[in-house]
Amino acid sequence: MFFRCKNCGGNVVYSPERHKMFCPYCESEQREERAEGDNNAEMTICPNCGGEVKVGAHTSATRCAYCDSYLIFNERVEGQYAPRMIIPFQLGKETCKKSIREKFKKCLFAPVDFLSEVRLDSMEGIYVPYWFFGYDVRCVFQGEGTKLRTWRSDDKEYTETSYYAVNRDMSIRFRNIPVDASEAMPDDVMELVAPFDYGQLEAFKPEYMSGFYSEKYNMAPGVVEGRAKKRVDEDTGKLMRENIAGYHSVRTIRQDIQTGNSEVSYGLLPVWKYIYHYRDKEYPFYVNGQTGKIVGTAPISRGRVWLYAGTLWACLTAGFLMVGLLVMLL
Amino acid sequence: MEYNFKREARKQYFRYFRIWFIGLAILAVVCGVLGVMRFLESRRGRTNNEAPAERVYDYADVLTDAEEEQLRRYIAEKEEALRIDIVLVTVNQSVEGAEAKEQYGYRSVTWEDNMQDLADDFWDDNKYGYNKGFNGDGILLLHNWYEGQNGEQLSASGKVEETLSIYDLHTVLYAVDDYYETDPCRAYLAYVDTVEELMIRNGTRKFEGGLGVFIVPLIAALIYAAVHLIQRPAKNTTAVNAYVQGGQPEMHRRSDDFIRKSVTSRRIQTSSSSGSSRGGGSGGGGGHHVSRSGASHSGVSHRH
Repeated sequence: MFFRCKNCGGNVVYSPERHKMFCPYCESEQREERAEGDNNAEMTICPNCGGEVKVGAHTSATRCAYCDSYLIFNERVEGQYAPRMIIPFQLGKETCKKSIREKFKKCLFAPVDFLSEVRLDSMEGIYVPYWFFGYDVRCVFQGEGTKLRTWRSDDKEYTETSYYAVNRDMSIRFRNIPVDASEAMPDDVMELVAPFDYGQLEAFKPEYMSGFYSEKYNMAPGVVEGRAKKRVDEDTGKLMRENIAGYHSVRTIRQDIQTGNSEVSYGLLPVWKYIYHYRDKEYPFYVNGQTGKIVGTAPISRGRVWLYAGTLWACLTAGFLMVGLLVMLL
Repeated sequence: MEYNFKREARKQYFRYFRIWFIGLAILAVVCGVLGVMRFLESRRGRTNNEAPAERVYDYADVLTDAEEEQLRRYIAEKEEALRIDIVLVTVNQSVEGAEAKEQYGYRSVTWEDNMQDLADDFWDDNKYGYNKGFNGDGILLLHNWYEGQNGEQLSASGKVEETLSIYDLHTVLYAVDDYYETDPCRAYLAYVDTVEELMIRNGTRKFEGGLGVFIVPLIAALIYAAVHLIQRPAKNTTAVNAYVQGGQPEMHRRSDDFIRKSVTSRRIQTSSSSGSSRGGGSGGGGGHHVSRSGASHSGVSHRH
C-alpha cells in the first residue's frame, strides 16, 4: 500500500514536525487516501509507478527508487506481523541533522565532508522492530547490615558497630523492556539508543510508516528474550541495593529472586540511521527518532590530526623560541 | 562543493588556532621592536660629555709613558665596544691610620674605607660614566702603591654594577694581582681584559632551553592528538527503573531491626614534634654601597 494525496496525487508521508500526514508536493495536510497496490508474492512492483522495487527479505516499508513513493507491504504489517504499538517519529530529518552537527562540530579531526549537507541528507528514518517483554519479579532479601560510629576521647578512638537484621520483600513489575528483533541492527547500539518515552506509545497505524523504512521482526521472541532477562536481573539487583542503602556493609544471608508472569508484545520504534563511508569503511550513526540521543563514533582524518598536532607543536616551539629571544633582548 | 569543504576546513583551522597565531604575531612584533631598539642603542655614541677624556691617572708613576699610551688606546678600544667607561688610577699615599685621616681628611682610619671613598669620589667628582655623569656605566680601578698599604680597590657603577657580581669584581682584582709586582702594565691590561670578558659573559643573556624547546612541545602535541583521537562512547542512559511499572518496586516487607552493638577502641598515635634549630650564619659582606655624592657603586678591595 501507499498513501496518495487526495489533492495532487503525490505520496503523502507522516511528518514528525506536524505530527500528521503531509503531502510534500502540494503541502496539504491530512488529505491522504490509502491506495492498495498489487502486492504480489515478491513485492517488487511499485503500485504507484510500476517500477521494480528492490525489497529485502524482512522489509516492511521502503522507498521506490523511481517515483520516491514510500511503500508499505501489507503482508508484513498485518496478521502475525502486525505491530501492537508504535512510537511515531517525533524528530524530523532536519532536526536530526542539526543534532548530529551540534554533537560533532567540535570533532576537529573528522573528514571535512562528514557533516556536509549532501552526506547528512542520506540519513534514513527506520522503524526498528522490537519485542517488548514484561515480567513480574518477586525478590526476597535477608541479610545483616552494619552501621559504624566513631568518636575520640583523650588519646583513644572508639568505634561502635551496630548490627541490624535487614529484611526486604518486594515485587517489581517490569514492563515493555525493549529488545530489537532485527538481525540487521546491532544489538549493543540498539540498547544504547534507548530509552524511549513510552508515554508516546500509540496503537499501530500504517500511516506512521509512510515516509520511512521499516522491517518486520525477523528474530523470534525466544531468540532475544535472554537479553531482556539479563536486563531484569541487573535492574533487580540494582533496585535491591538501592533499597538497602545506608549501611556500612551488608552481608547477604538469603536472596531469592523469582520471575513470575511474563508477557511479550511486538512494536516499532523510530531510529534515524546515517552511514558515513570513509576510506572503505562504514561509520554508522543512529539517532533516537524520539529523544534525539545519538550513538556513533566519528571517523578520524589522520591528515587533520597531523596538521593540527603539527601546528600546535610549531606554535609552542615558536612561542618558546620567541620568549627566549625576548629574555635575551630585555 | 569540494571547494567549499576545503574552504570551510581552512576557516575552521584558522579559527581554532587564531589565539595562537595572534599571540605569536604579538610576540614577533615585540621581539622585532626590541631588536630594533637594541640595534639603535648599540649605534648610539657616548652620551656623557661632562667627564674628562683621560682614563689613565698614574699618580704613583709605575708606568712608562709608552705604557700609559698603550693603556689609553686599549681602554678606548674596549670602551667603544663595551659602551662603558674604564678608568685606571694609581696613587702612592697613606690611607690608613689617624695621621693619614688628619692629613687627608679621610672619614675613617681604616684602609678599606678610605680606599673605597677615594675610588668612589674620583669617579663621582669627574662625572665618569659612559651614558651619564651620575650613576653612569663604568668601572674604576684604584691601585695604591704606598709601602705597607699596597692594594687595589674597584668601584663599579651603572650597568657594570648590575652586571658584575662581587665575585666577578674579585676575579678582576685577582687578574691584577697576578702581574702587578712584575709588570704593572700587564696587570692593568689584565684588568681591562677581565672586565671585558665578564661583561660579555654576564651581559649576554642566553636562552638555555636546549632540545627541550622542541621536545616539550612535541610531547604536548602528541598528548593533544591522543586526547582528541579518543572518542568517548555513548553511555547507557537508561535508568534502572525505566521499565518498572510505577517507577518503584512494590514493597511487601521492609524491616531493619537492631540486633546488637559492639564497641572497640584504639590508642591514637601522635607524632611528637621534633624541634629544629636553624644555625645562624653571618652573611658575606655586601659589596654595594652609596658613595658620599649619593651615587650607587659596588666595590671590592684586595690588600697585599
